[in-house]
Amino acid sequence: MYRTLPVSRLASSAPRGAVRVIRRRLATEPPAPAAPLPKKKRHVVRTILLSTTALVGTFYIGSTFAAFQNETYYEFFTEYVPLGYSMLSYAEGQHWDTMTVQSATDSAKKTLASAQRYVTDKINGSPRTAHEAVESAKNTRAAAVKVLQDSKDRANAAAARIKTGIKKEMPGTTAVVKHQSEQFSREVNALIREAEAAIEKGIDVPALPTTPEVAAPPLPHTDSTIYHAPLPLGHELPPGYSRPPPPKKPEPTPEEAKSPQLPRLTPALSSLSASEPIIAHLAGTIDDLTTYVESNPLATAQAASVLETAKADLTALATRIEKVREDERSELETKMDDQTRQYTLKLMELEMEAQDRLDGQEQEFRRYLDGERVRLTQAYREKLENELQTQTELINERLKEEVIAQGIELQRRWIREIKVRVEEERGGRLAKIDELSANLKRLERVALDNSTYLDENIRIHALWSALRALSASALAYPVRKPFREELRVLRHISAAREDPVAAAVLESLEGSDAPDVGVEPFADLATWFAREVAPKVSHVALVPDQNAGLLSHLASRAFAGLRFKRHGLVSGDDVLSVLARAEHYLNEKDLDSAARELNQLTGSAKMLLHDWLEAARRRLEVQQALEVVQAQATLASLLVV
Amino acid sequence: MSTKPASSEDILGQKYDRCLADFLVKAGVGFSAGVVLSVVLFKRRTWPIALSTGFGGGVAYADCDRSFNSARIPGTRIISQLSELEGKK
Repeated sequence: MYRTLPVSRLASSAPRGAVRVIRRRLATEPPAPAAPLPKKKRHVVRTILLSTTALVGTFYIGSTFAAFQNETYYEFFTEYVPLGYSMLSYAEGQHWDTMTVQSATDSAKKTLASAQRYVTDKINGSPRTAHEAVESAKNTRAAAVKVLQDSKDRANAAAARIKTGIKKEMPGTTAVVKHQSEQFSREVNALIREAEAAIEKGIDVPALPTTPEVAAPPLPHTDSTIYHAPLPLGHELPPGYSRPPPPKKPEPTPEEAKSPQLPRLTPALSSLSASEPIIAHLAGTIDDLTTYVESNPLATAQAASVLETAKADLTALATRIEKVREDERSELETKMDDQTRQYTLKLMELEMEAQDRLDGQEQEFRRYLDGERVRLTQAYREKLENELQTQTELINERLKEEVIAQGIELQRRWIREIKVRVEEERGGRLAKIDELSANLKRLERVALDNSTYLDENIRIHALWSALRALSASALAYPVRKPFREELRVLRHISAAREDPVAAAVLESLEGSDAPDVGVEPFADLATWFAREVAPKVSHVALVPDQNAGLLSHLASRAFAGLRFKRHGLVSGDDVLSVLARAEHYLNEKDLDSAARELNQLTGSAKMLLHDWLEAARRRLEVQQALEVVQAQATLASLLVV
Repeated sequence: MSTKPASSEDILGQKYDRCLADFLVKAGVGFSAGVVLSVVLFKRRTWPIALSTGFGGGVAYADCDRSFNSARIPGTRIISQLSELEGKK
């Protein structure tokens, strides 16, 4: 880094140095090749050539300016003159159209200067020679520095070895010391040779004008192994970095301290050694030389004067270097101040520009950021809404499930509760229900009893009604008429009552043909008997029961009229007495007895009474059946009540 | 009042009516036959007429008697159980 820095500085300061070099060379060397050429061509050809060239050039340049002034000429120039267009385009490229007199003179001056420079460069060879010289000087200096470094290292190593040797063998034999001193002297000789070579090379470089700038920085490099930081101008070394070789060099010398003293440079240059280590080192080296010379008593006398002059020169050199450095430093400081101010201004301008650009960028970024933020916000909001929707759906689903589960749980609990309550209620109400059921049973029984009673009543009433209807139609009716309908009703009603007696009686009655035919009324029967049956029976009253022929019948008829009519309840088995009793019973409305009396008769009388007896018997049957049913009904009604 | 024309008490009256009718018819037939015989065979004598009328009347009587007592068949005799039992004793 510190090797490249001087190069750049060299380059920056190159023009000045280069010019100086060129001037020097111009001053020293005669311009050999440029001078003889123009003197050889002083002929007609040259004048013609020059004049034509001048004319053509004037024409073209003038035409160009005229073309810029005049539009028609511009067209003409571009159209018809060869190379006119390219000339114009070149002029436009060089901004001739906007050129003024001032700018033209300026540019002419500039071109003249550049032409002169070019020509001088051509004359003196490559303008890079100065740079090359500097480069070579630098190279040699670098080599010197390197050599110095090596020598220093070696000296250090030797000093260290000596030190250790002395420390170890201070009370040791002198032979070892001698050997060591000889070895040391040989090394010192080599060192001195190298130092001299180095100084010669090193002095060459500072001879150039760049030395003040270049010489200062490399010097710290020589001690880079000892202290690494570069030493700024006018600054002291750090305490721990004091150079070891100069203080150690004198250490081997105490043995020769008693020999005549030679002048020492180190104390004289001690003030300078702080800022100029190379000089201090040189002084140290010369001191070493002095000590060596002192060790050699023969050369001491001659060496003393030489060393004196060396010392004087060295001190003068040191003071001069100091002065030059001071000057340079002040100059550099002023320049640095100027540059600082200039660069500060530039920096501020740049800063402001950068600030403006930054502001613009910031604004743009902010806008972009806002847009981006809005977009991101939109996207994230959509995403969030989607998420929310899905979450909401999930939550709703879960809630629904929970609600259903809770509903089921609640239902179960309610059912359990209801069961418990129902059990409790049942326990309380069962007794009531038992009581109620008992009451209800009682009531039912009562109702059933009542209903059966009512039914029975109704049935008996119906039975009575049917019975009355039947008797009315069968017995009490004045004309004989069939009564099967009434009998059927009565039989049904009695069958509903499940009365076996009545049922049997009515069945037997229904089985006969009496209901179809009907029964004769008692009055009819009585009349029939009195008017028809009784006279005819009395006519056959005398007919024998067996073998009664026509004559017996006629005789009976003839004699029956002659007999006395008997009335009332008369005794006797003959036909006429029976007829009288029957008539009596009929008068007393005792059909049964009359029928019984008449039923005793036999023979023709019985044959004649047959129809009447049939009718009377039928009537009596019906009458008896009705009486039985009536008795049953009466019994039933009595039972009910 | 008896509605039936053939009631049990009117059986004898009907028998009497039928016997009379039969007698008249048979006596008339016998009288007619006697008249014819008397005219044709007996040269107008009266006895054939009375004989044949008597025959007719007799036949009518027999029939009438048989109608009153159906069990009276010529050559037979109906014995009652009681009398038969008494006879056996």
